[in-house]
Amino acid sequence: MSEAARGWTARRVDPQLVEIPRSARADMRVPARVFADEQLWQQIQRDRSLEQLVNVATLPGIVEAAYAMPDAHEGYGFPVGGVAAFRADEGVISPGGVGYDINCGVRLLASDLTAGEAQAKLEPLVHDLARTVPAGAGRGGSLAFDEAALDRLLARGPALMAERALATAEDLAFTEAGGRLAAADPAAVSPRAKQRGREQVGTLGSGNHFVEVQVVDRVFDKAAAELYRLFEGQLVVLIHTGSRGLGHQVCTDYVREMDRVMPRYGITLPDRQLACAPFASPEGTRYFAAMCAAANFAWANRQGITHLVRQVFSRRFGDAGRLRVVYDVCHNIAKVEEYAGRRLVVHRKGATRAFGPASPETPAPYREAGQPVFIPGSMGTASYVLAGADAALERSFGSACHGAGRAMSRGAAKRARSGHDVRRDLEEQGILVACPGAAELAEEQPAAYKDVERVVEVVHRAGLARQVARLRPLGVVKG
Amino acid sequence: MTARHEFLEHTSETVVRLTAPSLSALLAEAGRALGELELRGRSPRERGPWREVALRSPDRAALLVDWLNELLFIAERERWIPTEFAVLEAEEDHVRARVRGVRVAEPPTFVKAATMGGLRLTEVGGALLAEVTLDV
Repeated sequence: MSEAARGWTARRVDPQLVEIPRSARADMRVPARVFADEQLWQQIQRDRSLEQLVNVATLPGIVEAAYAMPDAHEGYGFPVGGVAAFRADEGVISPGGVGYDINCGVRLLASDLTAGEAQAKLEPLVHDLARTVPAGAGRGGSLAFDEAALDRLLARGPALMAERALATAEDLAFTEAGGRLAAADPAAVSPRAKQRGREQVGTLGSGNHFVEVQVVDRVFDKAAAELYRLFEGQLVVLIHTGSRGLGHQVCTDYVREMDRVMPRYGITLPDRQLACAPFASPEGTRYFAAMCAAANFAWANRQGITHLVRQVFSRRFGDAGRLRVVYDVCHNIAKVEEYAGRRLVVHRKGATRAFGPASPETPAPYREAGQPVFIPGSMGTASYVLAGADAALERSFGSACHGAGRAMSRGAAKRARSGHDVRRDLEEQGILVACPGAAELAEEQPAAYKDVERVVEVVHRAGLARQVARLRPLGVVKG
Repeated sequence: MTARHEFLEHTSETVVRLTAPSLSALLAEAGRALGELELRGRSPRERGPWREVALRSPDRAALLVDWLNELLFIAERERWIPTEFAVLEAEEDHVRARVRGVRVAEPPTFVKAATMGGLRLTEVGGALLAEVTLDV
């Protein structure tokens, strides 16, 4: 929709940032800011992203601005790629501002192998990964959790898995928040959500979730890469998944509850999916406790997949196939963080925390560089490792983008190119693909996404995070 | 008129537009649309038993969302995709229906949830028109 049709004009602040003024709509409490160069700005205007971002700017207790990252696109309620912070004392928390896939995130595993050393075994490796990492229900065994164990997992996250030799202390140290949000309360998670989650630890799910075997294709920042122990030619594995049915059910339960109680708090909204309650209210407190539990579950899920991937690498490469967790970041979450002495509830929906060297939350070995930020591309395109920058704290509540960001609907993608053609394209590039069906392949084809290089460039130039390394896909296992 | 559904363009999710002569027909059609999405072109033949589904919601738009989420929950738990619907009772705030579907080997995972994003349910020319966004 054009600006004229919308009735307001955006102002370009600098080559990387556009602002929609607070005056654009009468119910806005703060302006809306979009990190985008001119080309991405044109793309972002094609769907309802900006309308949804303006809706976020109307929520009670929002501070500074509602932000959209350069990979932003329309979602439901919040746009995907949205960041918003609310005062912890007077502001709200919104399950729709976190999304259904609570703590959907990305974990990078690094081997000591080069891609050249692994080349001959690449095809069986990808097939073994596809057989070993389930998309749907788990396969029991060491990843099965009874009711009591699931409650402990929700409270403690992957730390519980260390007791079963499914995680190491080093894995936890290189996971955001140590893989555990302390406010988690399993009692706030419904029996229905637990029922859905019980068989899902160590499972991928569907859509854009994947396990991808990659090679470090190019290092941009040698010092940071050395701190992250990444080198050109290195074989790595990127895992993208979240909290599965458990997280979806937590969101469903609490959107419903908040939709019901909003009149009690005098909250009216332009979109019911923004349903929210004061953070300090009983409903807000309970949702936050449940969301934290689901976040812990998601970290445990990625840890479970890590365990399965390690089994595959061990089968294929023996001791040489050791895999180290470089880092694990979430991109669908609400966290309590302090900015200029204010406690804020920062919602990141399709946005990655990007704390710089000054943050005590950056793991000590990475302190000189900043926390790793992973930006997966689409199938067939590069993914990026970035380092969080201190400037992001002031510009975007310490946030960067989370991916390339969709540019095309699933229907349009299927009409543009068939799954069979997409598979052939990828194979011609030397990328092996294990995917449940042609439809899934067509929907996730590279052309359905924005140009990840451009997205990353905007993040880099805006000072939110800086480029460290580029990862090129070798084999993709889709959920 | 006959109830019908179509899928609308959305950058990342799926929007279902439903048209039906009554709330009962609308809910049944919504269930069929969900089943179509979850089947992803497969055609399993083994049918499960009829089961009764009943739920309450604050209003009929929320009822549509809750109904779809209820079906999603059963589908994931029972490894089953709903395809046949007999709505026994549907009012502004509740529905009671018999539902039957087909068995699948793995829990369906394509649709994560029905959302309230952009939700609308209105009467147009004596018919009900609804749009609901599904997180996929």
